[in-house]
Amino acid sequence: MAERHTNLIVASAPHVAAPANTTSIMRDVLIALIPALAVSTYVFGIRAIILSVCCIIFCVFFEWISRKIMKRDNTIGDLSAAVTGLILAFNLPVRLPIWMAAVGCFIAIVVVKQIFGGLGQNFANPAIVGRIALFIGFAGPMASWVINSKMSPAILAVAEVDAVTGATPLGLLAAGQQVPTNLEMFLGLISGSMGEISAAALILGGIYLIIRKVISPAIPVSFLATVAVLSLVFGLDPIFQLCAGGVMLGAIFMATDYVTSPITTSGRIIFGIGCGLFTMLIRVYASYPEGVSFAILLMNILTPHIDRLTRHKTFKPAEGGAAK
Amino acid sequence: MGLTKRLNGVHVDHSKNTAGMAIKRMEDPEKVYIPMSQNIGAPCKPLVKAGDAVKVGQLIGDSEGRISAPIHSSVSGTVEAVIQGMTQYGKTDTSIVIKSDGKRELADTVVPPEINSFEDFINAARDSGVVGLGGASFPMAAKLNIKPGSVDYLIINGAECEPYITVDHAVMVTYTRDIVDGIRNIMKWLQIPNAVIGIEGNKPDAIAAFREVLAGDSAIKVHELRQIYPQGAERVIIYETTGRVVSYGMLPLNAGCIVSNVSSVLKLQHYIKTGVPLVSKAVTVDGNIVVNPQNVEVPIGTMISDVIEYCGGLKEEPKKIVLGGPMMGRAIPRDDLAVMKANSAILCFNGDFAQQRKETACINCGRCVATCPMSLMPAKISRAFKDKDVEALMELDVLYCMDCGSCAYVCPARKPLNFEFRQAKAMVMEASKK
Amino acid sequence: MKKSKLQILTNGIIRENPVLVLVLGTCPTLAISTQAINGLGMGVSVLVVLTCSNIMISALKRIIPDTVRIPCYIVVIASFVTMVQLALKAYLPSLDKALGVYIPLIVVNCIILGRAEAFASKNSVIDSMLDGIGMGIGYTLTATVMACIRELLGSGTIFGHAVTAGTITPFTIMVMAPGGFFIFGTLIAIVNKLTKGKVKDKQQNKCLGCPGAAFCSQKVEEGGAEE
Repeated sequence: MAERHTNLIVASAPHVAAPANTTSIMRDVLIALIPALAVSTYVFGIRAIILSVCCIIFCVFFEWISRKIMKRDNTIGDLSAAVTGLILAFNLPVRLPIWMAAVGCFIAIVVVKQIFGGLGQNFANPAIVGRIALFIGFAGPMASWVINSKMSPAILAVAEVDAVTGATPLGLLAAGQQVPTNLEMFLGLISGSMGEISAAALILGGIYLIIRKVISPAIPVSFLATVAVLSLVFGLDPIFQLCAGGVMLGAIFMATDYVTSPITTSGRIIFGIGCGLFTMLIRVYASYPEGVSFAILLMNILTPHIDRLTRHKTFKPAEGGAAK
Repeated sequence: MGLTKRLNGVHVDHSKNTAGMAIKRMEDPEKVYIPMSQNIGAPCKPLVKAGDAVKVGQLIGDSEGRISAPIHSSVSGTVEAVIQGMTQYGKTDTSIVIKSDGKRELADTVVPPEINSFEDFINAARDSGVVGLGGASFPMAAKLNIKPGSVDYLIINGAECEPYITVDHAVMVTYTRDIVDGIRNIMKWLQIPNAVIGIEGNKPDAIAAFREVLAGDSAIKVHELRQIYPQGAERVIIYETTGRVVSYGMLPLNAGCIVSNVSSVLKLQHYIKTGVPLVSKAVTVDGNIVVNPQNVEVPIGTMISDVIEYCGGLKEEPKKIVLGGPMMGRAIPRDDLAVMKANSAILCFNGDFAQQRKETACINCGRCVATCPMSLMPAKISRAFKDKDVEALMELDVLYCMDCGSCAYVCPARKPLNFEFRQAKAMVMEASKK
Repeated sequence: MKKSKLQILTNGIIRENPVLVLVLGTCPTLAISTQAINGLGMGVSVLVVLTCSNIMISALKRIIPDTVRIPCYIVVIASFVTMVQLALKAYLPSLDKALGVYIPLIVVNCIILGRAEAFASKNSVIDSMLDGIGMGIGYTLTATVMACIRELLGSGTIFGHAVTAGTITPFTIMVMAPGGFFIFGTLIAIVNKLTKGKVKDKQQNKCLGCPGAAFCSQKVEEGGAEE
């Protein structure tokens, strides 16, 4: 008789699993953010990398310490805190004092994520709330844009007059001044938050995520399409509106955050349309030049309701017995 | 057919390493341990005692239950003992231990049955000892015992959508003609006008073989199924081949369908032709540590360890042995258990393949929702289960879950979703009893 | 279970702190706690009104018919609020201006109505006075502490004196509503920790702490949870 094995692992089926796990998904998001980081480093210099690394370190540290204080399992290995840190850094002006960035990381990780129960439980995207809190709390530093010779001549032109406040394309538009060309906007030779400037690099990252099946195209496509259509309705240049501000970063990396976006494809389309709608309403009618983060935050809060509305219909016969 | 809805599913790595391999007959082991409950329904009572001489195909266990299938000796030799032992299901059950003489002598009772009526046919189906070989082990005779003419579709399940397993594939290629004869027999006696053989697209040779044999026969169609798990699930294959929707708690019969696995049809036909009942079963032996992965025809009651030994043994210490496919099969605690009628694969794993799932928090990614073939909302069901919210579980139709494991397969947080749902279903059943 | 006089007095400071444990009067507290001086001024005003109305209502509890007790309490409270408001206008006009509408709104402050209903209408005049003082101190402390934290973080000052202002950029969101809620939540968490989660035990309070209890259709008479 053959050798006996009596100590085998007994587990419930399935005994195989798809290769993607939480850590690999988060790693893919980090990889997808690299092109945008590269463009930022080219345009803004080494400070872009310093700010990103600091934000990642702060976020991971806050995650670690708050899990420790709350006596919960350590979760920094899933890389979700690192993703939050990098995305938050992308939402900040490159010259923002590091301690302010740390405050943003604290709000993102501790207040929004861990107090609500950690990964999967947060009601809003941590990076967005971190950005909004900083934007409201440190209004001045959060709107002090860096201008240098690598940027579009349109931006350099205002540098002489008003070096800080009006330097983003949306700011220029609001002030009724000459804006950069669409090609400059697309490539990212403009001023703005650190990671949002280059639409080209962000789209590249988005394509990587879609190919790797990390995100579904539903949210980015419906978000961007809504912005484009509404730009036409309001008589604005759609290419400019798509490339300006945080639309690309928001649509590809922040609105697609699993935890705070709907679970079904139809829900995701509604979510994306809502984000686009609020973004354009804020841009056109509100006092802020940019509204992407507010739009996404609003839709984050509506997500549970969208999920309830777009629940899949169970595969079963129509009422009244067997369908023939 | 104009299907309006495409059922979801999941692309699982096929890992059909043994595809194209012929089925080898294993020589009789020294001893077989034949369990007395190998089907859903009533267990059988032993009809022999220690010391009795038995031959292949001799009736050794039977039951008077309406839903049951008799059990026959798989070897010729001497009954050594009637013992109480552990079965694959982890239960203690009566088994008959037979010491083989290696001669494989057929019993005198093995003669082709004479079939002149529907009753004869059902009796033959019962005497064959055939049960649902796709894994459900529902006695064939009970399944076929319907009012003749009341069903208009016979669906033959040749999907074999689970990774690794290739026995049905091998059977379909080797015994195409016998299977078709079996189908025609069932259609004839049950007065079923149409039959569909559903085969997943990754077995083009099987599809071609059937098309060749069936040329000119318009009553039996071959339906190429999409290569997506779980096409072989009963409710899915009915919908894919006929467009009919079978609900939870409904039998395929209610939708005018009978579904049977190809191997079951073949075994039945084999009995009708030769009189040899179900005494052996083809299984795929595979996994990352088997020396010679292959398809083996194994006498019922052979120890799993003997089967592995026949396949050259294992390269390394096994961590996990799975009976059936990796998506829905059962992991067994030890390898000194007997092969039963409904087994289709013995998969041995170690290393990464045998790693236990380490569950992390749900990140709401929606992969489970996108893959559920029944269009359920696994993420929501999991949450309702955690809250023990029976009302929400019912509202989320947890009872429609067919335990295919697609959701748990894709879950990046590695949550044991279908395992939770099994408990959730029990909770709902319990609550609805009150 | 009869409480000692000292217990009645100290009850409101931490154990049954009106803002952080009973969660009453949240709206004015969040609204005025942007500057320490406002918090203190509001706190003292509430302390005075609460003590006086508790005494008056306790004294009148046998005269006031049960069916119209709420309007009667309001009348009593409103009288004291008017006095306080006139006094503020006369002696501390700048504070009156800063607190604005929140002084007249003390009339409908849940803490005062809640204590009138839950305590003063059932206890002696002395006990009611002590309860009013205790609760008032609890409110004043909470409002002041909250306001100090928010003023320090949001403006870099405390009671108008520069602490970090000028050296560190203030985090202005702290003096806005979100910051108010954040500090409020944090303080509740701290008090919860200090009282070892006893505040969760709503069994003790039943519906007594809730000013809506008089009108509430889901009122739990004995032993039930509050919400």
